[in-house]
Amino acid sequence: MASFNILTKLKTLAVETDYRISFFKPTTQQAKMNRNLIIKLFIAWAVAIFGFQILLKIIEKPVPEEALVRFIPAWHRIEAGLGTDNDLQDIGRSMVQVTGKLTLEPGEYAILKDGISWTLSELLPEHELADLQESVIRLNRLREEIVSLQDPEYLAAKESVISTAAPALDIGEGTLLAQLLAIGLVENMAVMEDQSRERIPEIMSLYLTHNRSVLTDTIFLGFPFHYFYSAVFLLVFFIGLCWIYCHRTDKLHARLNFLEAHD
Amino acid sequence: MKKIYFLLFMFLPLAANATNDATQLEGSFRVGPAIILIFILTLFVLVGILFRAKDTTDYYAAGRGISRVGSGMAIASNWMSAASYLGMAALMYGTGYHGLAYVVGWTGGYVLLLILMAGQIRRYGKYTAADFIGDRYYSQTLRTITAGIAIVISIAYAVGQFGGIGLMFRWVLGIDYISAVIIGGSVVLAYTLISGMLGVTKNMQIQYVIIIISFLIPLFILTARFDYFWLLPQIGYGSVVQDIVEGISIADKPGLYNSLGHHFAIVPSPEYAMPWDPSTRQTFFQWMAIAFSLMIGTAGLPHVIQRFYVVPKAVDARWSVVWGLFFICVLYWSAPVYAAFGKILSSNPEVGKLAPDAIVVYTAQLGAVNPLIVGLLAAGAVSAAFSTTSGLLVAGASAFAHDLYVKVINPEAKPKTQMIIARLSTILMAIIIAAIAMANLALIAQLVAIAFSMAGCTIFPMFLLGIWWSGSNRAGAKAGLIAGGIVTLVSLTYLIGARAGWVLPYNDFISYYLGAWYFAWIGAPLAILVHIIVSKLTEETPIEIRKFLIEKVHS
Repeated sequence: MASFNILTKLKTLAVETDYRISFFKPTTQQAKMNRNLIIKLFIAWAVAIFGFQILLKIIEKPVPEEALVRFIPAWHRIEAGLGTDNDLQDIGRSMVQVTGKLTLEPGEYAILKDGISWTLSELLPEHELADLQESVIRLNRLREEIVSLQDPEYLAAKESVISTAAPALDIGEGTLLAQLLAIGLVENMAVMEDQSRERIPEIMSLYLTHNRSVLTDTIFLGFPFHYFYSAVFLLVFFIGLCWIYCHRTDKLHARLNFLEAHD
Repeated sequence: MKKIYFLLFMFLPLAANATNDATQLEGSFRVGPAIILIFILTLFVLVGILFRAKDTTDYYAAGRGISRVGSGMAIASNWMSAASYLGMAALMYGTGYHGLAYVVGWTGGYVLLLILMAGQIRRYGKYTAADFIGDRYYSQTLRTITAGIAIVISIAYAVGQFGGIGLMFRWVLGIDYISAVIIGGSVVLAYTLISGMLGVTKNMQIQYVIIIISFLIPLFILTARFDYFWLLPQIGYGSVVQDIVEGISIADKPGLYNSLGHHFAIVPSPEYAMPWDPSTRQTFFQWMAIAFSLMIGTAGLPHVIQRFYVVPKAVDARWSVVWGLFFICVLYWSAPVYAAFGKILSSNPEVGKLAPDAIVVYTAQLGAVNPLIVGLLAAGAVSAAFSTTSGLLVAGASAFAHDLYVKVINPEAKPKTQMIIARLSTILMAIIIAAIAMANLALIAQLVAIAFSMAGCTIFPMFLLGIWWSGSNRAGAKAGLIAGGIVTLVSLTYLIGARAGWVLPYNDFISYYLGAWYFAWIGAPLAILVHIIVSKLTEETPIEIRKFLIEKVHS
């Protein structure tokens, strides 16, 4: 212990002689302990933030939603001229589901509306298609005129579209998909633009494939675990790190009888 | 204080009656929110008059008489701007998990600030970042440049605030965005000129209380109304996030609607919570770069660092960070709740594309929260933006009047002249900020993130090395500053180029890897490296500086 004190005093003397300091070469016991504390906290901080995200990245796998699993084979069969009504219903329902995604770009929404409308035109008999087109035209006209989305005439027009279109795609009339379907149709239903045909599979894959892993699929306090970790836990952890630093520094200063310059 | 209560009771019933028939998301003048807004701003001015700082010294040292908790509240109020109040929810609403990079970045930075700087800055004993740099690097040139950088950072930071003020004034007054920025900017300028030097620290504590209460009340209402665990919405919304991932059918939540009559339902939307989802067009690299840049930017922002100069002791500087971070986290735990509810309540395409930066207010509206409370929420947003903008304008004007005009241009300037210069520079800054804000370059939080990256590339390396390494010298600081400055200029040139439609060389590569919201991920390490190399190759730091570091900062 005595030799340790002498060593410390020698080091302090050296500092007093040339006044050189560096974080990585502390010259006093207090500075050394402070450096060690900072390094420990810094490592904990870096691992907690970046280490977790790197782990998330390493173990993730692209996982398709059920709607995409149904869409892809049905789309290929239809493109090859082998599609059945069930296939048309499958791609129609899948596309309607994607129109409910909030991140969808306006241009992509227009393409999907084109696709859904075309699917219905393939499924419905001519007279029903004509009725549906009339209902869609009326609905679109009313949407321009109404003040409230609860306008009775507008709601009736929506119901009229749903009553024809939803059964054709095997969608329940009282469901969210039926609500999306009602506003997801274009007036010229029988024609799908070439650009839409090319882009639909790409849009569907983009919106229906997600990076998932055990960390995203585990539920903790109602959250997906990774979301809880980043949105809630990390903030608690940061406060904890700060508290530890202040507490340990106070204790260290008390133990070494270290008075700060402005205290 | 009795007068304040009197005003409160006089205004509230009037406001309640005035806002009952607010039914649309935007487009009409809202009397109730307007009255609440005027009332809160008047309250701040009154508090400022009651706790007026007697002189400049009193103004700077105002914090030295308050507790650690009070100082923590002042840190939180100073920090919580439109970017925190409106911007974070906007990012999570639009990009889901990606937005959490901002939450993590803006809180994790305080750990760095605490363990690497807070106590040491307090012990160094200077009042402004330019003073510290000028003294530590024994250079009038660096003092001048740092003052200039502080002004530019203040402007960049305040552009986002003006954007937020513009959005809220548009919502309250029912006018277009440009007019709203002009009116809102004029009000904040007048407010700053009247109250800029009045009872700042006391005002910050009151602002924090108002900001946090106005932000939290709607959360309890939303979670209770839509049948989630409402006692602690910051945990209760976990089920909301999971419901978004799995989807909510109409049968799951029968009888629950948004204010437009749509069912409380959403198709399965894992893209909201899954990491760096392809549909958000955001990547793993961007998540990491943003979090890193915001964290080191936090430790380099002049107006944040400045808070540590005005606490009584170094130990108080440290503990005030703990309290400050806790108070900040209360808001940061809460902002994602708005984004999650906003996601469901606006999921029907009939709602149309909403301005993400106003999603906090829209969510409360769509959730059929009482219009008076929505008005309070909007007033809270304006308060957050006002408190930060006012602080930034004062800091920017001080940098010009104190660090540039008096120290460099006219050392013989009389106090009256200094005051005129400070006021003129405040007005000039406000005009510049408003002009940039009108261009609507990006989301509020992204605009503010630019300021963080700038600070991370320029001021952070000089503070970090200046405190912890006596070998860091003037030549090294200048070289590091040039390196960080070049990265900053390149990134901002490409941002402006992209908005102006220019096609610059390597456009995609540079726009991606030196994105304007996160260029400090490379700029800061580069600046530090250059700073170290040049310091090693040039004349050593004078012994007086080294002695000061040993005796005052590290002993």
